[in-house]
Amino acid sequence: MLQNETARGIGGEDPPVVLVSTGEFAIADHPSVLLTPALGSCVGVAIWDAVRMRGALAHVMLPSPGVALKDGNPDRFATVVLPKMVALLGEGLVLKRFVAKIAGGAAMFKGDTQMASIGDRNVEEVKKQLALLRVPVIAEDTGGSHARTMEFHLDTGLVVVRSYLYGIREL
Amino acid sequence: MRPDSLSDLQLDAIREMGSIGAGHAATALAQITGRPVAIDVPEIRLVPVTEVPGALGGPETLVGAVFSRLLGDVAGSVLFMGVRDALLGLIDILHNRPVGSTKSLGPAEESIVTQTGFVLITAYLTAIGRLADLTILPSRPAFAFDMSGAVLDTVAADVGMKADTAILVQTAFSTEEDRIDAVVLYMPDPDSLEVMLGKLGVV
Repeated sequence: MLQNETARGIGGEDPPVVLVSTGEFAIADHPSVLLTPALGSCVGVAIWDAVRMRGALAHVMLPSPGVALKDGNPDRFATVVLPKMVALLGEGLVLKRFVAKIAGGAAMFKGDTQMASIGDRNVEEVKKQLALLRVPVIAEDTGGSHARTMEFHLDTGLVVVRSYLYGIREL
Repeated sequence: MRPDSLSDLQLDAIREMGSIGAGHAATALAQITGRPVAIDVPEIRLVPVTEVPGALGGPETLVGAVFSRLLGDVAGSVLFMGVRDALLGLIDILHNRPVGSTKSLGPAEESIVTQTGFVLITAYLTAIGRLADLTILPSRPAFAFDMSGAVLDTVAADVGMKADTAILVQTAFSTEEDRIDAVVLYMPDPDSLEVMLGKLGVV
């Protein structure tokens, strides 16, 4: 997990960007911006705490470890990373009022049905986990066959989704 | 078998497979285009699949990729990939016109890249198969054209349960005038890699 330690002032400088790589997640406070580039079949999950202007962003790669979890970062699985994120975000809080926005879950390759279903399964599992954690999904840009880059602003909860196909979309 | 547990001798054997494969792919390309095609000494590395975008200019670089599963005696997958300009150049070479003539990647160009990438993949696999005395066949190819990070994410998710490390063969095909940079990612299952190394006598 990455921790944001370099929050700079508001003196007109660009806000510090916290980069979230594949299969990882990060928590940050405003004015930092959380960014995860190039989501394919992976799903970006942004969970926002409006009161504290704080949020977490995960780059989920697969639904669940299944039987094959041997090594590697367990944070790449939806069933592992989402409960962890909500627990860390909710530390010290009596009342958790989080909302989530998700993007990604595309079918990148034309002509391969096995791979086309990974995106759908990711989206399904992410939604299931968020429902279990009682975090409502208030916006999404999922499916299709194009890559997305996701940017999460923590003051307004704005999620900017960029792609070559559709340009900029705001969630 | 984990890639980090490979011995120097085994890594050499893998490099040898990579470079023989690339050589056969160049021969195939020369036969398709009817022009001599040389390859640069390929750079062969073992890298985690998710770190490959770094070798191609960042996760948001536009790339085209042809993906096939391995059938026959081994399991795994293989990916032929190039950045947008390299693929447009490849199309120009195939059409026998100056590189830079093709400006966009429509359905017709997509089809040419897919089929050519598939021929190169097949040449590559045939060479490895002959070397290791194994039958390795590619499945029907699938094509993607988008951000390199997203394409490789998807491939990594697909193989993620078994192989997260790929044999990256980075090379350049050059005709008399032009140079096309391309990458072949070979991702055998760890068990299959062991079988192959066993056949080569370097277990």
